[in-house]
Amino acid sequence: MDSLKIENLTVTVNNKIILKDFNLEIKSGEIHAIMGPNGTGKSTLTKVIMGDPTYKIKKGKIFLNNQDITKMPVDQRARLGIFLGMQLPYEIEGVSNADFLRTALRSKDENFKLYSFIKELDQKVKDLKMNPDMIHRGINEGFSGGERKKNEILQMHILKPKIVLLDEIDSGLDVDSLKIVGNSVMDYYKEKKPAILLVTHYQRLLDYIKPDFVHVMDCGHIVKSGDASLVKEIEKFGYDKIKKSSETKLEETKINE
Amino acid sequence: MNKIILALDKIKEEIDDTIEVELSKKQTFAGVNTLKIKALKDTDLEIIYEEDEIKYDIYVELLPKINVNIYEQKQKGSYKLSYHYNLNELSKANIYKVNDAKKIKESITINLNGKEAKASFLLKTISKNEEKYDIMVYHKASQTESCIITNGVNIKKGKLEFNVSGFVPKGIKECIVNQNNRIINLTDEVSQIRPNLFIDENNVIANHSAHIGKCNENEMFYLMSRGITAKNAENLIVKGFLTSGLEYYKQLMEKIINKYWN
Repeated sequence: MDSLKIENLTVTVNNKIILKDFNLEIKSGEIHAIMGPNGTGKSTLTKVIMGDPTYKIKKGKIFLNNQDITKMPVDQRARLGIFLGMQLPYEIEGVSNADFLRTALRSKDENFKLYSFIKELDQKVKDLKMNPDMIHRGINEGFSGGERKKNEILQMHILKPKIVLLDEIDSGLDVDSLKIVGNSVMDYYKEKKPAILLVTHYQRLLDYIKPDFVHVMDCGHIVKSGDASLVKEIEKFGYDKIKKSSETKLEETKINE
Repeated sequence: MNKIILALDKIKEEIDDTIEVELSKKQTFAGVNTLKIKALKDTDLEIIYEEDEIKYDIYVELLPKINVNIYEQKQKGSYKLSYHYNLNELSKANIYKVNDAKKIKESITINLNGKEAKASFLLKTISKNEEKYDIMVYHKASQTESCIITNGVNIKKGKLEFNVSGFVPKGIKECIVNQNNRIINLTDEVSQIRPNLFIDENNVIANHSAHIGKCNENEMFYLMSRGITAKNAENLIVKGFLTSGLEYYKQLMEKIINKYWN
């Protein structure tokens, strides 16, 4: 059983508080969906868990299986089993997807089997209905928005993380691709039972990836948590009503670093 | 593929009837050899510079409607070279340069003399010492196109200077003038890029960019978020940067890269 625990996390960027006293725990086999208006810190949360150095942790800690990873470099967190499927995956010229994944796997295990890797890669490319040529092209070079998202899910399958963070993995996907991506995430979930934390704005992704817990974020922390029925409530009443029912409010304090 | 191997005072040619080559020894006051190449038909040409201290003036002329791919590699020597490319109407030159030298100083003049002449120029260099490139592109006829890409990585005591200038005088219409210059600086030395456009005509499409820095932080984060160490992430980015756009010289560049990055 793996668990990721976030305790009283306060995070700033450019001296502005983005996350304030944030608390959450996710465990293997659980799917958590984070929803909320734009600019409330949802994407920041996923990047901070991954260890993006752009963000400064002012207070609080992040634990993976009771190990404090708050100050751990990005690559070490990834090797421990945390994966972030990004909202805007970067394009890197000249580095082929295949080389990239091979290097990533070798970083985790020097004795990894090349043949098994190629076989699995070919199968997942087929499952995700990706163009096989993409494997030999530069990372996300000339990929459409949808292709980039599929590429993130492909990487998830190959790297087999224990903690999966998916930041708006549905944006830029057409209805068919959304179904493929949603089902692919669920296939991985059924096989490996990871802990999944997904950020989304829309219910449509949750038609495929069924969350056990839904959290609404506002002003840098969770203002309401519930089960999947909370999604219906959000669809019906919008975020404003949920925000009003919460007493929390974050002052956009400028702080000196 | 035509091939010319250049050493200090001699050249070795393996050429067919698509080009003419003429070597004049030390005719200039500075004692520099002059090499003249004329492309008569569509062709590919490779110029290999030996491990010497080489100084040359090189003139390349493309007859009208002639397409030429020119591949150049310089390894280990010190080079001081002056190039003059003259492109006539409807001719096209694709120039690829891969450099891994001790020291380089190059002056490159591209004259787009005839209507619809096109030049594309791709430089990939690994600089361990001082390297300077002055590139001037003169659009002397309408509907001419130039695309200049200079990519370099500084290692050890590497220090790069790219001065790239595009010129379009008034009345020379519908030209496309592009340049993209980037240096990944893995040293504490100071590098320079001057991306100049001197355009005196409104009916022109022109773009220029210049970037000097370490490896892109977002790219590093992306690679490291997949478990790749910072050192390996940097290696991947540098390798990708130096090999992108190369086909004929891709393997050569990979071999050079492996000398410095394992």
